[in-house]
Amino acid sequence: MANDKKTVGITATNAAALAHLVSAGHFSSELDAAKFAMAYAIKAGVRSGATDGAETKWNVGSIDPDGSMRSLLEALFPESTVEPYRLAEYLMNEGIKALGEQGGRTNVYDMLFPASEARG
Amino acid sequence: MLQIEALHLEDFGPFKGKQSLRFSLEDGVTIIYGENMRGKTSLLNAIRFAFFGKVLGRGRKTLALHKIGNWEQTSLGKFGFQVQLEFREDNHKYRLTRSCHPRSGIVAPSDDSDYTIEYFLSCDGNVMGPQQAETELKRILPEQISRFFLFDGELLQEYEDLLNSETDMGRRISEAIERILGVPVLTTARATLSALKDKSEHREALAAQGDQKTRELGKHLAELHAQRQTLREDTQRLERDLEQARSQKAALEEAMKKKERLAAWLDKRDILERMLREITSRREVKQVELQQAMATAWTALLDEPIRQAAKALRTQEDALQTEIMRHEVLRELQANANSECPACLQVVSPEARKRIEISLAHSTGQDRGQRQRALAAVRRKLAALEDHGGLSQKSALRLLWDAVDDAEMDFANKKSERDEITKQLESVDEEALRKTKTDFEAAIKSIDALEKGIVKSREAIEQYNADAENIQRRLDKLGGGSLAKERRRREIYSNLHRLFDAAVGNYREQLRKRVEADATRHFRALTTEPDYAALKINDSYGLTIIHKDGSDIPVRSAGAEHVVALCLIGALQNNAPLRGPIIIDSPFGRLDRSHTRNIVKALPTMTKQIILLVYDDELPADIARNELKAKLRGEWRLERRSAKHTDLVPRKD
Repeated sequence: MANDKKTVGITATNAAALAHLVSAGHFSSELDAAKFAMAYAIKAGVRSGATDGAETKWNVGSIDPDGSMRSLLEALFPESTVEPYRLAEYLMNEGIKALGEQGGRTNVYDMLFPASEARG
Repeated sequence: MLQIEALHLEDFGPFKGKQSLRFSLEDGVTIIYGENMRGKTSLLNAIRFAFFGKVLGRGRKTLALHKIGNWEQTSLGKFGFQVQLEFREDNHKYRLTRSCHPRSGIVAPSDDSDYTIEYFLSCDGNVMGPQQAETELKRILPEQISRFFLFDGELLQEYEDLLNSETDMGRRISEAIERILGVPVLTTARATLSALKDKSEHREALAAQGDQKTRELGKHLAELHAQRQTLREDTQRLERDLEQARSQKAALEEAMKKKERLAAWLDKRDILERMLREITSRREVKQVELQQAMATAWTALLDEPIRQAAKALRTQEDALQTEIMRHEVLRELQANANSECPACLQVVSPEARKRIEISLAHSTGQDRGQRQRALAAVRRKLAALEDHGGLSQKSALRLLWDAVDDAEMDFANKKSERDEITKQLESVDEEALRKTKTDFEAAIKSIDALEKGIVKSREAIEQYNADAENIQRRLDKLGGGSLAKERRRREIYSNLHRLFDAAVGNYREQLRKRVEADATRHFRALTTEPDYAALKINDSYGLTIIHKDGSDIPVRSAGAEHVVALCLIGALQNNAPLRGPIIIDSPFGRLDRSHTRNIVKALPTMTKQIILLVYDDELPADIARNELKAKLRGEWRLERRSAKHTDLVPRKD
């Protein structure tokens, strides 16, 4: 773990998709949207991995000031050999890519509250 | 009694060239049949133009005279038109000619300013001078009361306002009614006597100043009169201003009525604009709250992965706990060789003890430490998973999301409604519409202020009157040679003024009773509802239908409104000193056949000469002939030559 990343970045190809996600107005920052994308990737079953060519975007201190995200990733990926923040970066990029591929059809609401959960 | 003998038209509206209509002077009804767009309203307007020099369109809007000339003629470069009326009044034969022609030098007029209007009135063959003609026309048919002679369904509808004394339209019609009934003759006399009374009081005050013993009182009285006069002049000025403000308000009210639909749209759009601004603010607030909540919303997506990971970790936790506990028990049994097993309370057999030894031999202290650390690590992970359990915040997040969604949907709906109205208002002069509204509001405020001012002035005048009377009484006691003559003069005018004052009230009351009785008589003949017994008149001459059980009928249809209005007009004609023909444009459009029959039959009882402008379906010729019989004095038809040309022909079928 000593080799874990100190900064997390987004690839140039994902940057536009992330900006698009934020422009819909549901997120106040790209970081919030990136975290959401990470969760989306986890839920979609993306396994452990690492991203090449990500351009530095955030310091890990900004992403996970209390270390709880790191603990969570460790708990969710107990077998992973990839360091937590490197994994977070990978999952964020994979999530953004997947959401970006949905284009304008991205519906954050439906992801959060699937049709099976009746709307109140 | 005014009676129309003939109408001669030249290029007026659809009536191309020179055309004439003759009317019988015998009591009865002349009917002019014409389908829509043939020129019935133009005929009514031709008569209106001859008398008053104006032409009215829908909504009683004055039409541009430039557009009245026959269209076929104007396309040939011939502009202008002329109307000539022959009528009788008090055994005199009049000929009124009014023409509208392009000003000298103007070949192709483009608006009313390019025309000149001229009129001539002759009486028994002698042409009157302009001043005399004007006075004579105003005497024969004042424009203010024209509504009782020349009208259509739209005008009949206005009589509803008489039931509401608050409306300016009601007040105006009420004034017109009093005018046709001759009340102004009395009120003018009363005003003249009031002025004479004032003058005589002043003369008395001046006379009192000529005598030593009454000088001071006379001086004081003269001062009071002067102050009262100033106040009266102020009051008169306020009354003139009030009248002007009321006319302005009525005109604005009319303008607003005509643009009611547009004004309603404008209001609606303003309301929608305000609502859109409110929704935008609400949406922005909720959006910020949602964005704040969305910062941690990502964990809500992880419910299932967290649940599964937690389940696996709990299994690991259980296994590690079991392993650690087993090891502890074995170590205790090894340490206390003769002790009983803590679980089954049996003595541990030698074979069992041997197995314990073997088992413990494979486990070192380092293993124990590893197990403890592994358990602690599992528990840390479990705690991390529990920390991110998103379920608790999900419902709050959903509420926020729904609030933003609702605001957006609300915004979209309202915006679409607003855009639709904006589209409808594209060609509307909004500024003018708004100005009409603000001017109307300003007129209401001005009326209110003027009314209050008048009340105050009148109160002050009353006070001056009371003070003057006090001094007058003291003067009366003192007397004096020259005063007696002036006092007598003053007493005569004072008594006459009181007499006329009472007469105005009595005459009004009598008129109301007579109008009510005649209107009821007409109403009984016209209505088809046997339970309607009478009409009841109010102070403004508004008529309410009374049921036979004595109760008021509070609401009535447009058709009933027309019937009641016709009853009022009939009653006014019966009681007015100034009487004339009734000329009605399409009066039966809103009435069923039974009412139509009743009205046709009753029309000859309302006035001597009636001219009806109708279309065939509104009043079939056979019904008119059956109901009127000998009272039917003439039948004419408006015959189409082209869309821009109609001919007046006697009906022969």
